[in-house]
Amino acid sequence: MRQFFPVDDLARDERFVQTNMAKRMADSRSAVGVKKSAKSRGASNRLTPDRHDASEAARSLMHGIMVGEIQALEGAGRTAHDFAAGDGSGDTIPFELKLDMARQAWDEARHVEISAKLSDWMGTELGQFSENTVLFEAACSNDPVLRLAGVNRALEGLAIDVFTQMKEFGQLAGDPFLEFCEDWMLADEVTHVKMGSDWLRKVTENDPDRRAKALEFQQVVDKLFSFGGARGDSDESPIGLARRFRELAGFTDDEVDTIAEMDHDALEERKAAVRLAQEAAGV
Amino acid sequence: MSTIAVTPERFTLVAYDADRIAEITRGLAERLQLTNPIVIEVDERTPLGKMSASVDSASSDATIRLQLESGALEDTKNLTNFSDTRAHLSLGRLLLRASDRLRDDFADAPPDRDLTNAQNTAWKVYCGGRLERLGLAPIQQQYRYDFRNRFGFRDDVDTLFDRLWASENLGWHDLPG
Repeated sequence: MRQFFPVDDLARDERFVQTNMAKRMADSRSAVGVKKSAKSRGASNRLTPDRHDASEAARSLMHGIMVGEIQALEGAGRTAHDFAAGDGSGDTIPFELKLDMARQAWDEARHVEISAKLSDWMGTELGQFSENTVLFEAACSNDPVLRLAGVNRALEGLAIDVFTQMKEFGQLAGDPFLEFCEDWMLADEVTHVKMGSDWLRKVTENDPDRRAKALEFQQVVDKLFSFGGARGDSDESPIGLARRFRELAGFTDDEVDTIAEMDHDALEERKAAVRLAQEAAGV
Repeated sequence: MSTIAVTPERFTLVAYDADRIAEITRGLAERLQLTNPIVIEVDERTPLGKMSASVDSASSDATIRLQLESGALEDTKNLTNFSDTRAHLSLGRLLLRASDRLRDDFADAPPDRDLTNAQNTAWKVYCGGRLERLGLAPIQQQYRYDFRNRFGFRDDVDTLFDRLWASENLGWHDLPG
């Protein structure tokens, strides 16, 4: 079976249209206020049922979760297959790490099924929204330790934030299926992040340079996964940072604070870019 | 035939065509037998999809004003691109709402900006059923989910939804909210 699969070759049927971060960020519109020092619309953008567009926004996020789960499945599966079993040095990974990745792939496959059924329940057709392939792109590194940092810590960390938000949405709306399913998937994601944190420490135990490089890579991916500040502590961000669950998954307070700062920077950078683009377009 | 004005006449942030928006609106107005002048304002600065309809009086020649954020006309598979299907559903819903507002029994309906989320959703469902009978293809499950979010995830709410979806000629006070 082929190793190191490029993002362009992911198998999708004709219902799915793929996009990437470059195209996404080229969109010069913004859902948040972009005027300097202005907080958008004077109200929270958090994805809660009292938003006028709550259902549509929840459908879009749920679809994003579903395609994210497909890519997480593909990423975990690739990591289980792409590297030979060994002591963790070079391009090898411990056999037990392979087993964890196989278990994660099994979890993600279940999440895909759950997310597809939830999408159906919410009235979404598969492929109704574009699929951003940024998640899989983070899973394409040639260094397995970078994959742990990018996928298990950054991507699955984002999943913790998103599932917490959706679980609360279901709870507030009184949607029993959404709340229940998100809660169960959230428990898996905490486990996946914990696996990544543990393996990252173990595999780089005697290689501080490699660990530093991995954590640096994780910061780059974390900023990408902020989606221009769509996730963050600010009320302007639709998705909050799930600090408690991140703590359970092995993130330190300092690490979460760093992510929060990057989210804030990403939001301000995005607002500045949109402001410039709209001024240039004269709107 | 309705006179239709669309602003902006030329879009810069999204790949929309004002003439196409006017053409779709004209076709829908004819099917709804609306001959009023129609003014359409699209806010292309935001990807959100809020929309509203108003009439400047209750007279038969009142001007209908439709306001939409760009997301209401967007192809969600290809962001910033126009979707004919979405535009038919969004503009059709707004024209039905405007047509309701021209009726005496909708005189008490608050302006769209003052509607509660529940009132807005109930009216949306009432429009959704009529759009389906006009031959458009709204996804009923989406409307049902929106309705459940506002009124509860219960069997009696589903029954109410089914009644609203199948209804014609309701007045403002027939809508829940």
